[in-house]
Amino acid sequence: MKLHVHLSPNWVLDTDMREYRPADEVDFCIVGTGAGGGVLAQRLASFGFSVVALEAGPWHDSETDMVSDEAGSGRLFWDELRITGGTDPLDFGANNSGRGVGGSTVHYAAFCPRLHPSDFRVRSSDGVAVDWPISYDDLEPYYERMEREYPVSGPAHFPWGRPHGYPYAPIQAGTAGQMLLKGCDALGIPVVAGGPVAIPAGRVGKRPHCIMRGFCLLGCKVGAKSSTLVSHIPDAVANGAEIRTGALAHEIPVDSAGRVTGVRYYRTLSDGRRIEEVQRARAVIVAGYAVETPRLLLESVSARFPDGLANSSGTVGRFLMAQAGPVVWGRFPGPIRQYKAPPACATTEQFYETDPANDFVRGYALQTVSPLPIAMAHLISGEDGGFGEDLVRAMEEYNHYAAIGVLGEILPAETNTITLHPTEKDRFGLPAPYARFSRGDNDRRMMDAGIERATAVLQAAGAIEVHAVDRYAHLVGTARMGFTPDDSVVDGWCRTWDVPNLLVCDGSVLPTQGSANPALTISALAARTADWLRRAVPAGALAHRPAGPAAVEV
Amino acid sequence: MTGDRYPAADALAQRGHWDDATRRVILDRVYNVPDFRHFDDHARATLEALCARVIPQDHRPRERRVPIAPWIDERCASTVVGGTRFDDMPDERTAWGLGLRGLDETALILHAASFVELDSAGQDSVLLAVRGGHPPGQIWTELPAERWWIHIALQAISGIYYSHPTAWDEIGFGGPAYPRGYTALNFGAPEPWEAEEVSR
Repeated sequence: MKLHVHLSPNWVLDTDMREYRPADEVDFCIVGTGAGGGVLAQRLASFGFSVVALEAGPWHDSETDMVSDEAGSGRLFWDELRITGGTDPLDFGANNSGRGVGGSTVHYAAFCPRLHPSDFRVRSSDGVAVDWPISYDDLEPYYERMEREYPVSGPAHFPWGRPHGYPYAPIQAGTAGQMLLKGCDALGIPVVAGGPVAIPAGRVGKRPHCIMRGFCLLGCKVGAKSSTLVSHIPDAVANGAEIRTGALAHEIPVDSAGRVTGVRYYRTLSDGRRIEEVQRARAVIVAGYAVETPRLLLESVSARFPDGLANSSGTVGRFLMAQAGPVVWGRFPGPIRQYKAPPACATTEQFYETDPANDFVRGYALQTVSPLPIAMAHLISGEDGGFGEDLVRAMEEYNHYAAIGVLGEILPAETNTITLHPTEKDRFGLPAPYARFSRGDNDRRMMDAGIERATAVLQAAGAIEVHAVDRYAHLVGTARMGFTPDDSVVDGWCRTWDVPNLLVCDGSVLPTQGSANPALTISALAARTADWLRRAVPAGALAHRPAGPAAVEV
Repeated sequence: MTGDRYPAADALAQRGHWDDATRRVILDRVYNVPDFRHFDDHARATLEALCARVIPQDHRPRERRVPIAPWIDERCASTVVGGTRFDDMPDERTAWGLGLRGLDETALILHAASFVELDSAGQDSVLLAVRGGHPPGQIWTELPAERWWIHIALQAISGIYYSHPTAWDEIGFGGPAYPRGYTALNFGAPEPWEAEEVSR
């Protein structure tokens, strides 16, 4: 089919895209086109595999579908019914998964830090959570590749985790970002500016440089900010992958041998009609975000898999983690105009690691966040429910606020879950996903400490008044990677223990989350899994279930 | 007195510098305010009174006030199943209907009058009770008051208000900056086309 999609003002994806029939048995059917699925589609197609990637949403044309307006950008976000509960219910809102080609990378802030080496052995070093079956060393080459492919701007020397530098020069910080630098500097806290953020400081290919519009969270009309929509999907299409939009996967059928045979989905046609189809495939990779991925597995019930697909361990949907994301904002005497420049522009990871002096383990990062007016009004009204003159006067100070996000590591808990809601149905008639989330004592102490630190930084920068609201973001963990079929859903190659030709490759597989925004890690895992598949498929590895420890080479 | 910090601000006057898609969305918001079609007259009056207490606009001439209630009515009229729903809350449309009736119930218990019949101070006392989480009334035993207040009422009302160019002028946000972008990034400076702040 003919594609004509603006990816930036002067770059149109104007090409014939290969189309498969549902009855064609393709090598891979991928569910989702975000940080995981987008990279997988590009890699696997370029390796010569036949690929269909199902995307529930549409193509977002940067000229006609993206707007430079906060309230007008709702179509970028996943907005199907989700029920939320627990003692700290997650308000998904516009903050989480995306709808459309590129997934949530279309509307993420583009902070792209790596995990630290310590993140892969939290059980060994801190006695909590679990270790990963893979190490930082396994992922490091893929971090390096993704930092060039997104690409990621940042300092020449990034001192935390395993120190490294970035391939593109730092982007300029606005005044709000400069307040984080100023406050950290006054307190003697190491801090970096201009990244790591996936917005190249110069022109990359057909992508223009950033115009400092500050709208990263609402889709980049400029095409400067990296998303898989602009970084990997065009290459996937050029290599023969089909990106099938308007296709909402709802079941993965299996045959009598316990192998998946494809993906069943509802497809909304251009005339609004909805049809049901099954794309046949020799292997399936689920990359639908930490809510819809376990949902799809749990919906795929059969005689052989009565508790959901790949769920013999009972861990599908469990260990849901949201990253702690309290927002702390200070009011300054002088103007800040925080809406200028990308919200992601300065950070410190000085408090990322376990510090024996704390009353909690693991830690948090401090990052710039720069709420636009509506987001700011929601923060202010959400702090204590203030209204009337209090609310209007607080908003009149909009141009005097600088905000810091505390991005902290929530530890995995078996009781934080995604399940299928017993009664509520979405507009397709499918059981709605039900998220239950309650933070633990360690989580609470870490968040309080992060808020206290961010408050001190803002005060040191000159803030005369500081406020804070607890928030959460970046859901991961509901199809975790582990060492054995009993403790996890997938092995170290993101391959399900129970089904030979089924993989999960998105944030769901993260056993722990660190205090790093997850996109780069998800893409690095996807690139690593694609490299493995390139070797493993010809070797017949998908003919049988994973045998043993994950990190073993084919 | 609110609204006097950026007297020269006029985001809408910059419309010629916006891209077509953005201009269409914002002008539609400003000039095509929907008619009421969901709430009955009394619920509509209650909703309008609520909006006027959350975002007071008495200082503006009537034709300069940002319409808020019609958009909430429109949402309730057209809502399809979707979005995030707290497991202790009904769907958004039901929550709005219940909450508005809850305001009346609380007003009757506290002041022996319906919400719209109260003066501003009386209405605020009802809203403070709802904000506090334990307002008197049967409805609030089924509808969590604090959740309704922050996640339904304040989110919608503040979200609609601060999506309007008149509100942007009040807070000194210059409006869409695509395709021209920003070049003044230091010291919180305005672009040449943005209004200076004059009084503090």
